Parts: sequence; structure tokens; C-alpha cells
Amino acid sequence: MKRIVIADDSATARMFIKRCLDIIGLGDAEIVEAEHGKEALTAAKAAPTDLLLSDLNMPVMDGETLLKWVKSSPKLMDMPVVIITSAGNPAKEQELLKLGALKVINKPVSPPMLMDALAMFLDD
Amino acid sequence: MPHQDTPIYKAMFEAVRETFENMAFVEVAEQSEEIGIEIPTDGDWVSILIHNPLQGELQLALPKNLLTTMTADMFSIDIADVEEIQRQDIISEILNTLAGLFMTKLLPDDQSYQLGLPVYGEGPIPENEEESLVWNLQIEGSPLLLVANGVGFISESN
Repeated sequence: MKRIVIADDSATARMFIKRCLDIIGLGDAEIVEAEHGKEALTAAKAAPTDLLLSDLNMPVMDGETLLKWVKSSPKLMDMPVVIITSAGNPAKEQELLKLGALKVINKPVSPPMLMDALAMFLDD
Repeated sequence: MPHQDTPIYKAMFEAVRETFENMAFVEVAEQSEEIGIEIPTDGDWVSILIHNPLQGELQLALPKNLLTTMTADMFSIDIADVEEIQRQDIISEILNTLAGLFMTKLLPDDQSYQLGLPVYGEGPIPENEEESLVWNLQIEGSPLLLVANGVGFISESN
């Protein structure tokens, strides 16, 4: 069973992402919810995690800082990180991809968008 | 040029329409001046600051009954079971999402921007001393008010 951490300060956004995961065939994954980057980092370190889906704009620790922490951690650096944000545009997307994000998706998220972003992940 | 014909008006209307249709599965329409449906004074509002590349604020206000119905539909629960925190979270996430879409439509592709975190409130939408742009819209006969405050937005509308 895959383990997925979802980081977003909005319960509504987390609910939408969980529904999308369910629709694209990841409904049986273990989903761990985090309200900010620091909580997500703790959750990802707590057990082997297959995927991190993170918002950008969060209190305590934002998504960009979380991405930098993950990619500089020997334990977590290979974990795919997908950023789901309302503050994305091509310039920001390139910046995040350079930092190591697998994909950057703009809100509102939909099942086809998530399926496209996770194509490689779903093939495993 | 009338406000409704400006690129900023169209960008906001499209951002609002796409956000509500995709998140809440409801249709947003422009409100004709003759109808003039007003937000009840006990409505819910949320505000978000734009930090870069211009300094401004977006405010969204909805009647409580509309927000409660949308919350129940989105969380697939009974209206009676809707909690205050769910209403707050949904209106905040809606404004957060539409603010991003709006800035994406308004700015060139190579221009990044920075949003603040949504702030929720109840009652009349707080007045701002700066000049504002106003979008009076409706969802199935209920009013939806969107306000953009800040010099940067005003210059975009001219």
C-alpha cells in the first residue's frame, strides 16, 4: 500500500485532493494529512512515504521551504514532491522544478490534472 | 471605458466563474444593476493580501445561507451538520484559489506573484479607504460581492 502525505492548511483543499486520489485509483493508499510544511516533514520522516503533495502558501512552513528541506535530506530526497498551488505561473513553476519538484499543478485541482502529474508514479 | 469592458474586470469574472464551477459546481453570472441584490449584513467575508508585484487586497463576501448550502454540497453532509469552521475554510480556499487564477490571467507568464493568507470575518465587508473595484455577481439568485482594493488594481482598470 502506498503512503501519501498531503500538506495544505485548508481542510477543503485536502478533501478535494483526497477525492481526486480516490478517483484516479489511489483510494486505498494510506493518506496522512498535514496543515503546514513542518507537520508534513515530520509525517514524511515518520514512515517510508511514496509521495508528497503540497500546497505552496501555508503558515509555519510554506511549500517551497518544505521542498528545499526534502531535497536536502538524505532520507527524503528521492521522495517525489508535487506542488499544488493557487500562486503558480510559468515563472514560479520553473523555479520549483529547479528545486526538485516532480510537477507543479494549479488549483483548483481535478482528477485529470492529478492523473497527468502522477502518470509515472501510477505506473509503478 | 466602462469597468465591465476592461481586461481586469474580465480576468476577475473568469477567475470567479472557473473557481466556483470547478470547486462548488455552481454557475456564476453577472448581476444586472436593475436587480441589485445586496449581501445581507450577517454574511461571511474573506480577505487576502497581494504582496507582489503590486500591493493590493481582494475581498469576497457571500450570504450565510448560500455558503452553508455550498459547504454541505462540497463536504457531502446535511446542511444541519455544517460547522462554522467548514464554512470559514471553504470561503477562504475559494478566495485563495480565485486570487491565484485572477493574478495568473492578469499578469504576463514570466511574472511571478505572492499572495498572503486568507483572513475570515462575519458581518459587513470592511470598508477600505483606498479606491476599489467592485464586481457584483450572482449565484442562482444569491449575491456574490468581490472587491479589489489598491492603487495597482485601479491603474490596471484605466
